Amino acid sequence: MTTTIGLTCSDGVVLAADKRASKGFFVGSKAVNKLFKLDEATAIAIAGQMSDAEYLVNLAKAERRLISLRRGYPLSVHESARLISSIVYSGMKSYNPYFVELVVAGVDAEGPHVYTADMSGAITTEPFMASGSGSPLAYGVLEQGFRAGLDIEAGKRLAEQAVRAAMERDPGSGNGVDVLALPNGNWRGVA
Amino acid sequence: MAMEGGMQRMPFFYSPEGRLLQVDYAMAAVGRGSTTLGLKTKEFAVLSSHVKPTRSLLEPAEKVFVVDEHVGATGSGYIGDVNSLVDEIRVQAQRHRLVYDTPADVGSLARHVGQYLHNFTLYTVRPFGASLVLAGADPLGMQLVQIDPSGTTFRGNGFAIGAGADEALEVLTKGYREDLTLDEAIALNTRAIEALNGGGTAIEHGVITRESGKFVHLNGGKAPRPPAPKTN
Repeated sequence: MTTTIGLTCSDGVVLAADKRASKGFFVGSKAVNKLFKLDEATAIAIAGQMSDAEYLVNLAKAERRLISLRRGYPLSVHESARLISSIVYSGMKSYNPYFVELVVAGVDAEGPHVYTADMSGAITTEPFMASGSGSPLAYGVLEQGFRAGLDIEAGKRLAEQAVRAAMERDPGSGNGVDVLALPNGNWRGVA
Repeated sequence: MAMEGGMQRMPFFYSPEGRLLQVDYAMAAVGRGSTTLGLKTKEFAVLSSHVKPTRSLLEPAEKVFVVDEHVGATGSGYIGDVNSLVDEIRVQAQRHRLVYDTPADVGSLARHVGQYLHNFTLYTVRPFGASLVLAGADPLGMQLVQIDPSGTTFRGNGFAIGAGADEALEVLTKGYREDLTLDEAIALNTRAIEALNGGGTAIEHGVITRESGKFVHLNGGKAPRPPAPKTN
């Protein structure tokens, strides 16, 4: 269920998600937050089993803090995505999969990045990505509206538009939209 | 355990003076090893190790190691201990690549082998009779780290371990400048080693520059040249 979106802009990244938690054919909650900041420069949009996803977010937060304390500079978006996919992959291979589909987005020394990680541990990266049951509908809007060099304000509008379109036709998504933006300047690493 | 006259005690416990004798002895073993140096500026790092003169029919042991593309290591002490520590760092460097898909930073590799060595000071085993010097490049810049049998890690611009380390370090300290060129640094290392071991001895060098980001053996006469990387 769920619709989540991540898109890269000229000056940062934008994440968006709906607010519905489904319990089968029942709306379990109408006010769920699916966007989580790992720090000021990296965030995750979650879809799938909420408990698995929130646990992964907390685990990633802890691992990232430990490694950046040890080596003295924070993880890049790519490193964060790979860290999470490593955990998810080992889960799958030990017959205890994390039932999640995550959008990992953030800014680092190389600029803005968006990754998606699925429950098999595969990660892919593109300028904009959608995830969850509403993603086919959201992609329709994104493919029409996205262009390189969009700024954050335009990105926010496009992301919200895409989630709202998915909410119209996907019964797994609804009850409002959350949007989160991380500007390039939030990166506090080296070079 | 026998306590003959109170002198025999379990060797991994503190002595009455508060020393870990097994660790002290391990440091002494390093002091008997061949003279081994590390030197670093903002632009490059050089590792140099004196290859002890061996019988003419013997091939000299490899003393400077590539750990990963961007990190090199050298060591002094029991060469078997040096080898197994280098293996441990090499595996950790690849473990990092597997999880994060990026080269490991040198500080973390040094910390890892430091923890590994520290474990051997806690339990009923012999601490490693080897110190290492790591050189590498990472997002924080050029890195040079010394790791001792106790597990202690030191960061700095110049290190000397093995036989005559104090004298060699004095030569390095006197000759060190921040604007040293690579050739000058190699010459300085050579001078420090030759001051103690006499001229004309085999010295193995390994070099990494900030520009290349790759640690390579320098053919100091004896060291085998690594095969040229394939270009696709």
